[in-house]
Amino acid sequence: MAGIVEKWKKFREPGYPGKFDYHWGMVIDLDRCSGCEACVVACQAENNLPIVGEKQFALNREIKWIRIERYWQGEYPDAKVTFMPMLCQQCDQAPCEMACPVFATYHNQDGLNTQIYNRCIGTRTCAVYCPYEVRYFNWYTFKWDEPLEQQLNPDVSVREKGVMEKCTFCIQRIRQAKDHAKDRGGDQRVRDGEISPACVQACPTEAIVFGDFNDPDSAVSKAAEDKRNYRVLEKLNTTPSIVYLSKVEQHG
Amino acid sequence: MSVSVLAALRTFKKHALIVLAVIVGFTVGHLVNANFYSDDAPVQPIEFSHRIHAAENEIPCMHCHVHAATSINAGVPSVNKCMNCHRAMPGVWESPEILKVRGYWERSEPIPWVKVYDLPDFVYFPHKRHIQAEVECQSCHGDVQEMDRVEKVSPLKMQWCLDCHKTREVENGRDCWTCHK
Repeated sequence: MAGIVEKWKKFREPGYPGKFDYHWGMVIDLDRCSGCEACVVACQAENNLPIVGEKQFALNREIKWIRIERYWQGEYPDAKVTFMPMLCQQCDQAPCEMACPVFATYHNQDGLNTQIYNRCIGTRTCAVYCPYEVRYFNWYTFKWDEPLEQQLNPDVSVREKGVMEKCTFCIQRIRQAKDHAKDRGGDQRVRDGEISPACVQACPTEAIVFGDFNDPDSAVSKAAEDKRNYRVLEKLNTTPSIVYLSKVEQHG
Repeated sequence: MSVSVLAALRTFKKHALIVLAVIVGFTVGHLVNANFYSDDAPVQPIEFSHRIHAAENEIPCMHCHVHAATSINAGVPSVNKCMNCHRAMPGVWESPEILKVRGYWERSEPIPWVKVYDLPDFVYFPHKRHIQAEVECQSCHGDVQEMDRVEKVSPLKMQWCLDCHKTREVENGRDCWTCHK
């Protein structure tokens, strides 16, 4: 217990992910996003997300680790729409982490905000604390109809009823890349561009860039220096690991 | 006048006998199950002896479990692997267990070995990481070279994994997502 509290205190220091092995992050260019939802489908396939069905969907119980939010401006026929992929922001100072009574959500050495399914008791406090509303609860143990269970990813566990889940930045791919880096020898570090989560891989317009923020030369660090950069709900001081680049508006 | 509860209990004699019979039944059943039908040393389709192969003939583990050093799974050898050696061994070619192997070979079927060390689905266990860290096969699997039928000697519990990770000071070895998925 004391160990966890000490670790937790360490995580409260500003700029602490700089001391970590890696600091995984994303840059999402909203000017490139066309709202095609390829990322949503890719995530669904990669991470064994269940199809909850029409009735549960109507009760707002769908499970989508990444969703496309639509923001409308103006009235028809002059309506404009902005699409915004919303997924777990992997906050450095995550509100969900201080909420969990059983430490089922915590920060790991990669600056990832992770969820341990086996430890989760399903109080759903984290979902209440999350300002981005990207945590999803398994209200039932969902079944995959034949032959859909054949496409389940063996690297990701299938969650059961009563467990909270959320985007992991495709931690199974991160783990695989680290494994390859260790097999390769040398400095045993993952090189830039070796990991692409399912959403990044699927994006047809390459709107999402993934990489290590601790490395100043990585593609993601350079993309984050764009003038249009901002973080969602920055005033809450959650310091998210996802940087958005705002959409370029045409005036006149 | 003394009041005794025994008189009142006498009517429950039958129930007591039933309860006793159930307890005895469960105990005997448990003992039979643990000693003869245990999952720790399941009966395999072929009485393959690691003692004969690994100890008497000194075949290294990696000769048959070829993928252990380079893959997540150690890998069970194919029937082809068995036949490669046993074709050249006329001494045991007609023995009953080899006849079974030859049967699988002729029917082009894999041998349905029973898994002894079965980890839960939520555990990520790469054999290669452990072998490259120079962990002996025997430290988890026991003295397999002394066993005629492979027996599970490790509890495969999280505490057991973590004890080793702590003593060997594994990098990130205590992070949940290093082993869980």
